[in-house]
Amino acid sequence: MAARYYDGETAAVEEVMLRVTSHELVIYRPTDSSIVARWPVADLSVLGDSHHEAVPPLAIRGSEARLIVEDPAWRAQLATLLPALKPLALEPVRVAPRLGGYSLAIVALVGLFWSAIEYGTDYAVPLLPYTLQAKLGETVLDELLADKEMCHGKAGVAAINRLANDLARGAGYKHDVTVHIVAGGPVNAFTLPGSILVFYSDLIDQAKDSSQVAGVLAHEIGHVVHDHPIKGVARAYGIDLLIKVLSGGYSDILSTFGTGGSALLAMRNGRAFEREADATGVRLLEQRGLRADGVSTFFEQMLEKEPSDAASAAGIWSSHPPTRERIDATKRPPTGTPAFSAAEWQALRNVCK
Amino acid sequence: MSDASSPWVQAAAPTAAPTAAPPQGSATAPGTPWAPDLAPSRPVYDGQLGELYSIYLRHLALMLVTLGWSRFWGRTRIRRYVWNHLSVLGDRFEYRGRGLELMIGFLLALLLVGGWAGLMYLVWIHVFHEKPFASFGLFDLFSLSVVLIGFPLAYVGHYAGLRYRLSRTRWRGIRCGMAGSAWGYGATATFLQFTNAMTGYLLTPVVSVNLARPRIANARVGTLPFAFAGRAGDIYGRYLGYYFLNILAWVVAAVVTFMAIGGTLESFGVSSDDFLKLLSHPSLRTVAVVLAIAFGAYLLFGLLILPLRCWWQAYLMRYLVTHSRAGNVLFATAISTWQMWGFLVLNYLIVLLTLGLGWPWVMHRTMKLIAGQLWIYGAPNGAEIRQPADRGPSHGEGLLDMFDVSGV
Repeated sequence: MAARYYDGETAAVEEVMLRVTSHELVIYRPTDSSIVARWPVADLSVLGDSHHEAVPPLAIRGSEARLIVEDPAWRAQLATLLPALKPLALEPVRVAPRLGGYSLAIVALVGLFWSAIEYGTDYAVPLLPYTLQAKLGETVLDELLADKEMCHGKAGVAAINRLANDLARGAGYKHDVTVHIVAGGPVNAFTLPGSILVFYSDLIDQAKDSSQVAGVLAHEIGHVVHDHPIKGVARAYGIDLLIKVLSGGYSDILSTFGTGGSALLAMRNGRAFEREADATGVRLLEQRGLRADGVSTFFEQMLEKEPSDAASAAGIWSSHPPTRERIDATKRPPTGTPAFSAAEWQALRNVCK
Repeated sequence: MSDASSPWVQAAAPTAAPTAAPPQGSATAPGTPWAPDLAPSRPVYDGQLGELYSIYLRHLALMLVTLGWSRFWGRTRIRRYVWNHLSVLGDRFEYRGRGLELMIGFLLALLLVGGWAGLMYLVWIHVFHEKPFASFGLFDLFSLSVVLIGFPLAYVGHYAGLRYRLSRTRWRGIRCGMAGSAWGYGATATFLQFTNAMTGYLLTPVVSVNLARPRIANARVGTLPFAFAGRAGDIYGRYLGYYFLNILAWVVAAVVTFMAIGGTLESFGVSSDDFLKLLSHPSLRTVAVVLAIAFGAYLLFGLLILPLRCWWQAYLMRYLVTHSRAGNVLFATAISTWQMWGFLVLNYLIVLLTLGLGWPWVMHRTMKLIAGQLWIYGAPNGAEIRQPADRGPSHGEGLLDMFDVSGV
């Protein structure tokens, strides 16, 4: 049995022959049969295995010496003589079935991962400790409002918080909702994790009546009760992770591609969330016998101001459905009790003064 | 150059005449005229693409199951395969790194970033929070600071990662290694790259040579150090030619692109508004058209810009390799512009178009390229190369994993 011997102290190479006895591996020079080394069988080990190494080195405990048996037939013979050296000559890998098996497993796992992101978040997110969600929401709020002026009119802030919590409780939501009002624009409102709502005062100023503000507030409560903010974070993170894992985490080119892809998917999630929040908002107002036409009239007002409709123009790149579609879905008759009393509405109009 | 011919075959022949004293420890008998052994050889790579793929796909499946945490072990298995299928002078390399070492490196880097985040939080609380001049928040501050430290740390990570990989690589049972300071390399690289950007990339030869030097000259096989004798001045002439030709090519490409896109849209009677509408509501046809345009732009870019870049990169590679040696062992390559195109551009496209699944193919192609294009002249005296006392770092590649793409 021929092999190459490295002594572990220098990079010198010796062509050697091997002889196996019951308790040792004898390494000797073929020229004069002088002994190079005697390795006790009990101390032998194989570094690696023949599935990963072309020629797994044979080593002896406590030394950096190596024995390299290039010939696969001799390696197999050695492994037969000394069963502890089995990794020297494992059964050869049958590549095609293995590739097929792993490919199928990957497709199945991607499907499972995708389903977990798409549907699993609905079940997993409510299990997330609420204190963590609240902490995240407060941190983002601090971040967003660092240089913004807040409106502190007590009665106005109390009025909007009263209605927000009434609507949330009506939906069976068990946490307190907090609404903050920021002075100025844009004409917008949004929801953060931890039941935090932010309204811009321009929205209140430009509302034709209290039902429009109530409609938008009910829409935002729709986001709150469906845990949309934290679901959005979880899905975005999940998609990002899936792309990274699938690309082996190796390619920055793919990360760039992936960022575009996950942005599109986030927008798609966004549109679905908006539709759900629209429907829930209107339902919550109707359940309490309150006027529920506010959100559709508010959208109509927006569309009059900007007929080109940014959401419609942006198409698949928009986080919101087209405004016309939202108007059609939320259109209700102007009936029902006003959501705010006259005094509350007045206080809300003056909240920044 | 033909794959079978050595680029130095002509130069090697006349060196048989006695020219210099034999190196210490040489086996040449006293009084015998010393002739340096300049027998050419090339590395041999005998890995099989199918086998590499089966290791890679298993790694991907495990990545999905473990949400990416198995990557340290997967990377290690791939390296074991690739290293051991590459041999130099008839002896295979060994990779003896462990997945656990990579994971510890990553966790330490995570700790470093966590500490940095804490520091930034304190800065934000005490300097910016609720101050009238503060127009950016904690996330802005953290993101900006990570970009600032990430750039130098990626270079530190490159060097430290190379040190780790070399310390886990053995040839003839002897550990390789890397001297020098990773932090020093990071500082030099950051300074050079910044200065190069500030001077319109006119310092690229200085940067290339001065960043190659520590990586080559600090590397060693056991006690045998590598040496690098390159000088930026040697390659400046070629670089300036590339630099100005590149500018010209960009101008031509920009003009042709604008004329082609404008002309195409007009000839179809499409206004810019229509064009934007098409993009926001894409049909299958729009996607096909966008892909066709992208392919056209790539062809134009590929025809004008990339060959120039590959021409320069191939030249730079030839220069760096031929100016490196390990003791009495010399290196050479005659890698051509076309081969560099295959390495830089085609490999990029393979990874991109296969959404990452082509990575083993790229690795296989790269190993084949190294085996086909690297020429080694002479052989070291094995008895003179001793096992180093230093065992290298106990963990590795955390910074590389955190701030850069570590690959395999």
